[in-house]
Amino acid sequence: MVDYRFTEEQELFRESMKEFCASEIVPKTEKLTEVRRMPKEIIKALAKFELLGLIIDPEYGGLGTDVITAGIAAEELARADPSCSIPVLFLVGTSWGHVIDKYGTEEAKKEILPKAINGEQIIGIATTESDIGSDLGSMKTKISKKGDKYIINGEKMYISGVAEAMEYGGGHVTLAKMTPDKGTRGMCLFYLPLKDTKGITPTYVEDIGREAISCGGFDINNVEIPKHYLLGEENKGFYCVHEGYELARGLIALVCAGAASKALENGIAYIKERKAFGRHIGKYEGIQFKLAENHVRIQALRELGYKALWTYDQEIQGKASRFDVSMAIAMAKSVASIWASEAINDVMQWQGAFGYTKECEDQKAWRAVRSFTLAEGSTEIMKLIIARELLGKEFLAYR
Amino acid sequence: MKLIACIKQVPDTTEVKVDPKTHTLIRDGVPSILNPYDQFAIEECVRIRDQIGDCSVSVLTMGPPQARSALMRCLALGADEAILISDKAFAGSDTWATAYTLSLAIKKIGFFDIVFCGQQAIDGDTAQVGPELAQQLGIPQVTYVEKIEIDNKNKLTINKQTEDGYQILEAKLPLLLTLLPPTSFQPEHPPMSSILKAKRKPFNIWDVETLGGDKSRFGLDGSFTQVIKTYTPPKRGECELIEDNPKEAAKKLSKILCKNEALTKR
Ligand SMILES: Cc1cc2nc3c(=O)[nH]c(=O)nc-3n(C[C@H](O)[C@H](O)[C@H](O)COP(=O)(O)OP(=O)(O)OC[C@H]3O[C@@H](n4cnc5c(N)ncnc54)[C@H](O)[C@@H]3O)c2cc1C
Repeated sequence: MVDYRFTEEQELFRESMKEFCASEIVPKTEKLTEVRRMPKEIIKALAKFELLGLIIDPEYGGLGTDVITAGIAAEELARADPSCSIPVLFLVGTSWGHVIDKYGTEEAKKEILPKAINGEQIIGIATTESDIGSDLGSMKTKISKKGDKYIINGEKMYISGVAEAMEYGGGHVTLAKMTPDKGTRGMCLFYLPLKDTKGITPTYVEDIGREAISCGGFDINNVEIPKHYLLGEENKGFYCVHEGYELARGLIALVCAGAASKALENGIAYIKERKAFGRHIGKYEGIQFKLAENHVRIQALRELGYKALWTYDQEIQGKASRFDVSMAIAMAKSVASIWASEAINDVMQWQGAFGYTKECEDQKAWRAVRSFTLAEGSTEIMKLIIARELLGKEFLAYR
Repeated sequence: MKLIACIKQVPDTTEVKVDPKTHTLIRDGVPSILNPYDQFAIEECVRIRDQIGDCSVSVLTMGPPQARSALMRCLALGADEAILISDKAFAGSDTWATAYTLSLAIKKIGFFDIVFCGQQAIDGDTAQVGPELAQQLGIPQVTYVEKIEIDNKNKLTINKQTEDGYQILEAKLPLLLTLLPPTSFQPEHPPMSSILKAKRKPFNIWDVETLGGDKSRFGLDGSFTQVIKTYTPPKRGECELIEDNPKEAAKKLSKILCKNEALTKR
C-alpha cells in the first residue's frame, strides 16, 4: 500500500521551516518588492538555517538530505514569500548545486559548493538565449577548447540571478555548443562565474513578478574558464542539464502549491468576513464551488509534486528510471502554474476591487506563479514530454 | 555537570478557538507544540552546557506517546538525550502528581546539578509544577528567572524578575529554576543539521514499572485537584482604543464617558 506520511525528520523540518519563515522571512517580504535583487541578509539567513546545501554531499558542506525535504522547504518558502523570489533563489541554487555535486570535478566542487552553501555566492542556470529557449539544440553560444582552458562566445537571456552573481559573486551552470553539427549531442555543460569575469557584460529586464530576484542576460565575449569547470563529459551536457531541470521543475510544482494554498487560506478568511446582500459571501455556492474545485486541484498538485520528487529520490537510489522521473516531473509541472494561477485569480476575484490593488498580497503570488508556465521549461514542453513517454520517441514532431 | 529540563507538549493556544455558546475551548484539530516557556528553558540549558563544557542536557516530559514530537524538537534544539515518561497510569495527573512523577524520573537519572522548567505551561498557566518538583526533590528553587550566568566555580548568578524590576541572586547547586523569556540572548532556530542529528540521539520511554514509586500517587488517584471544565469567561463589554495625543485623547475620553453617563457635566 501507499504510505503518504512524511518521515519524523521531515515533519520536524517542516515545523522548524514554518517558524523560520514566520520570524525571518514573512516580516521582510513587504520590503522585498522594492529591490529587484535578493538582499544579501536574506541569503545569509537561508544559509544560517542551512537551507542552501540541503541535498548536497556533506563532504562539501551540505546535509545530504533527500529531495522531498527540499520540496518541503520550497513549499514553505512559497507560503511565506508571495513574490516567490526567495523560493526561486532556493530552488535554482538547490537544483544546479545538485548538478555540480553530481557532475562537477573534485576541484570545482571544493571551490564552488561551500561558498554557495554558506551564502557567500549564488548558483544559477543559463541555457536560454534571445532567440531560443525550449529548442536548446538551436542555441548559438559556443564553447571550444584552447590548451587547458575553454573559450566561450555567445549570449544568454532571461536568466534569473544575474545581478546577484555579478554583485555578490557566484555564477551560472551554462550550456553551449561544442560540436554544432551534432545538435543536442554536441553540447557542453559548465560553470561560468560572472563576477569579475573578463568578457561578461550584463543587461537586465524587468519581470512583471518575482521582483526580489533579478532577471537579465549577459554577453559572453571570449570568456576563458579553466578546464575543471566542465560538468560531466564534453558533448554530453544536454543530458546532465536535464537532471537539474527536472529537479527544479519538481520543486516548482511545490512552490506553486505552496503559494496557491496560502492564497486560498487568505481567500477563506476573506469570504468568511465579507458580506454582500446581507450574507457572508462564503455562503454563496458560486463561491463555495470555486473554493472546493481549487482546493482539490491544489491538493492534487501537491501530491503530484511530492510524488515527482519521491520518484527523483527513487532514481538516486537506483529504484526508478530516468523515464519514470521525466514523466512524474512533467506531469506535476504541466499543471502547476496554471492551476495555481487560476486558484489565486479566484481568490483575487473574491476580494473584489481590493483584489486588484497592489495592496492585496495575492496579486504578487499571481504574478509570480505565472512565470512558471515558462521558467525552467514551458507548459507546452511538459506536455510534449508526457506525450513522448506515452507515444514513443518516434512521435516527436521535430525528429 | 548534568542539566535536566522538564518540558510539556501543549495545544497551540494561538490556534485554540472558543465555542461561542459553551465558552469551552475547542481543541479538535489544534496543532500541538512545545510549550514556549520550555523552549526558553531548553535554549538556556544548551547555552550553559556549551559554555561550561563537559556537561550534558537530559530532557524529560510526562505525556502521551504523541509528546515524542515535542521531545524531538528539544533534541533538535540541542538537548543530548530525551526521556518520555508515558503510561496510562499517569493520565489525569494534576500538578502535584505530575511533579511527583517527574521527581521519580529525575531520581532515577541519579545525579543532576540544575533542573530547568518553563515558568508555566500556556494551556494551564498554573506555574505550579516547577516549585512542586523542587519541593519533592528537596532542593532550592528560583522562579521568574530571566537571566543566568555561571562562573568557572559553578556559582550561579540569577536575575529574577519582580513586579518592579529584578533581583540579582546567587545560588549554589543543586537547584531548580523556572524560566521566563530570556533577556540576555535571542532564541534561535535549530539549523537543519541539528534536526537531522536529533533522530540519532538517545530516546528512552519509561513507564510506571520503570519508575517504581508509590502507585497511589500517580495519575487521577494521586491528584488533589481535577479539571471539571475549561472555558473562557464571556466578554463583558466592548473595548474602544483611543489613539491620539494626550490632550485630544483626554477630550475624546471625557466625551465618551459623558455620553455613557459615567461622568456628568457640571
Ligand atoms: C521569469 C523567468 C525566469 C527565467 N529564468 C531563466 C533562467 O534562470 N535560466 C534560463 O536559462 N532560462 C530562464 N528563463 C527562460 C525559460 O527557460 C524560457 O522562457 C523557456 O524555456 C521557454 O523558452 P522561450 O521563452 O525562448 O520560448 P520559446 O521556446 O521560443 O517558445 C515560445 C512558445 O512556443 C511554445 N513552444 C515551443 N516549442 C513548442 C513545441 N514544440 N510545441 C508546442 N509549443 C511549443 C513554448 O511553450 C512557448 O509558449 C526564465 C523565464 C522566465 C519567464
